[in-house]
Amino acid sequence: MEWWVWLIIVVVVIAVLFGAFLAVQMRRRRGGVIIDPSGSGGPGKPGDQS
Amino acid sequence: MRASAITKRPVVTMSGEDVAQVKDIVYSAGGGAVGGFTLAGRGLLAGPMDKGLPWSSVKGLGADAVMIADEDAFEPLDQVLHTSSETAGGGAARADVLGSQVLTDDGTDLGEVVDVIVAVTDDGFTHCDVVGYEIEASEALGQQGTKMLLPLPDTLSASGEHLMVPASARDFVRQDLAGFGAAVDDFRNQLGGQR
Repeated sequence: MEWWVWLIIVVVVIAVLFGAFLAVQMRRRRGGVIIDPSGSGGPGKPGDQS
Repeated sequence: MRASAITKRPVVTMSGEDVAQVKDIVYSAGGGAVGGFTLAGRGLLAGPMDKGLPWSSVKGLGADAVMIADEDAFEPLDQVLHTSSETAGGGAARADVLGSQVLTDDGTDLGEVVDVIVAVTDDGFTHCDVVGYEIEASEALGQQGTKMLLPLPDTLSASGEHLMVPASARDFVRQDLAGFGAAVDDFRNQLGGQR
């Protein structure tokens, strides 16, 4: 095959891998709201920590 | 305020160092008090951190950042999450409520949770409590697909997939945050009066 065909294949593979990495990172970093059935929560007191 | 407004906020120390960002909000099923936050590192390449931020260590929850004294405020993630396998009975498990179905105690599906409403109150101590769900309404509320705000009772009930609310919560549904605080108070007063 011509050299530029290989170049395109390599670029496409890199782009796909980078896209997959970004998708995984977005999923790992995605925020949520977790209900903790065991948590007492308790009164918070920001600013009271010494 | 909506929980989605808090997630992804940077966590900043009093010395101005940007050390993390909020990933998840963790709240208690028994009362809805926010117990803390799980964290992710800063930058696109960073993943979730193995430390969490307890609410008691938060110095301030501002519009643009969560303020802490320093990185000593962080605690091991298990402490923030409370290891449910050790302390919870009945096989209850922690679960992300976003996407969960809301059911009334008479078995009516009210919709799916798309966000959570959090109220910060200061009565000497600063409390952060979950007071409502923003739901994508089902047919039962008469406006299917519309986003609506549903007040919550003091004590929440949830399983892995379903969040339970009293049937009377339907009467206190609102469409925007203005007046929602009053709706929550009225709803809880009504529940209190029934006890």
